[in-house]
Amino acid sequence: MIERTNPLPAAADAAVISFTLNGEPVRLAVPPARRLIDVLRHDLLLTGTKIGCEIGRCGACMVLVDGRPVNACLTMMYQLEGRRVTTIEGLAGGAEALHAVQRAFLEEGGFQCGYCTPGMIVSAAALLAERPDPTDDEIVEALSGNLCRCTGYGGILRAVRRAVAIGREADGTG
Amino acid sequence: MVMAFGTPGRDPEVLRPRDPAEACRMKAALGAEGVFVAGGTLLRTQWESGAAKMPGALIDLTALPALDGIAEEAGALVIGPLVRLSDLVRSEPVAAGFPLLAEAVRRIGAPSIRNLATIGGNVASRTGDALTALLVYDAELIWRTERRTETMRLEDWLADPGAGEGFRLLAGIRLKRAGAAAGGRAGRIAGGFRKLGRREAFIPALVTVAVLGRLTEDGTLAGVRVAAGGGSAVPSRLRAAEAVIEGARVSPETLVRLGEAVAGEYRPASDAFAGAEYRRRAAANLIAAEWFTLCAPDRKEGEHDPDP
Repeated sequence: MIERTNPLPAAADAAVISFTLNGEPVRLAVPPARRLIDVLRHDLLLTGTKIGCEIGRCGACMVLVDGRPVNACLTMMYQLEGRRVTTIEGLAGGAEALHAVQRAFLEEGGFQCGYCTPGMIVSAAALLAERPDPTDDEIVEALSGNLCRCTGYGGILRAVRRAVAIGREADGTG
Repeated sequence: MVMAFGTPGRDPEVLRPRDPAEACRMKAALGAEGVFVAGGTLLRTQWESGAAKMPGALIDLTALPALDGIAEEAGALVIGPLVRLSDLVRSEPVAAGFPLLAEAVRRIGAPSIRNLATIGGNVASRTGDALTALLVYDAELIWRTERRTETMRLEDWLADPGAGEGFRLLAGIRLKRAGAAAGGRAGRIAGGFRKLGRREAFIPALVTVAVLGRLTEDGTLAGVRVAAGGGSAVPSRLRAAEAVIEGARVSPETLVRLGEAVAGEYRPASDAFAGAEYRRRAAANLIAAEWFTLCAPDRKEGEHDPDP
């Protein structure tokens, strides 16, 4: 349970939303239609989730809800009641245990400016959780909602393929 | 402890109706200040762009689990409007019985959008990319009002939504099984869906076309259905185009006449990216090309073309 002092007065029209955030149960009194992206970045100071287009086009704000990628700019707080939310901050097992996709992006240089990277990693992690050995077409499809304006995607696709290989090695099947 | 955030008085309240009748009562009482919301993806883009003002209240349809799920009926499949697009794509009965719908929905948005957006919202928008596929399956819409349930053919609703639209709620999309639909004559069912956008993926359609019919054993087409849509145009069946190839054999000459019929009949809308004339010609070419491919002699039943 999050136990920080609340920096803002309770809104008159707030509702209490209970959900799981990065493995911890949280209860927040928020206006129910407030966007998840605003709660993450402004209220909870979890700024790893980036904000770009604000209309679900760029994928910079990608998070997982019950394991599936969704855009935090399109998601309203009331839609999260009872759900399990994972942000880029919750993907790794800890500072010493990066997620395989995070490791692969570092090893392959799957980024330049880095702004799209958290969203790319979240989308790729969701794909590999469902399909540990995806085809190239499935990788492209899974990342089709994430825009990168620097890399031309070559390094990103290489990083995802590297993450697949890391997964195989971990399984002992590689 | 409970943490509290937000700006008072800026965000809409969220109402959770107990049943469809109460949802209709809420809408009737609130008028323009109350909006039905399911996934909310389209509404959010309208609020952010200023195309629509954020209302005072959101009527949360996800409070109505009866509107979710895919159910088998005698000779039909009924899709609940709350079914997420990603779940529709994964549905085996949809893929088996109505592959053009699965294909159309698979091409909407990106995976994260399809995890939020619902088929009901795509239909209710009146310009969604699923509509051309639903039109060639002659889908029926099941509507709930405060007091009763009514059924209307999708094609009729698209042509004229009728009065009092705001006070009724989409409760189901009924798809009749093929066989009965295509005249029951021997042969194989042939169908295709094409979407043309400014990019290969994750882009609103400039043009969508769907075609369906039966290629009979004597090489003629029966039960032909053709629909086109895309952009801000409300999709429609193209009856003159259908008449050109109904009962005919596909040949270069019939395909030219088919294309001319589509171009003469389809009424697309222009926008800043593509004019109506371009869209008309694109629809004509896509429909003619689709029938040409479907009627090629080496095609097998159930074969489905990848994207162009």
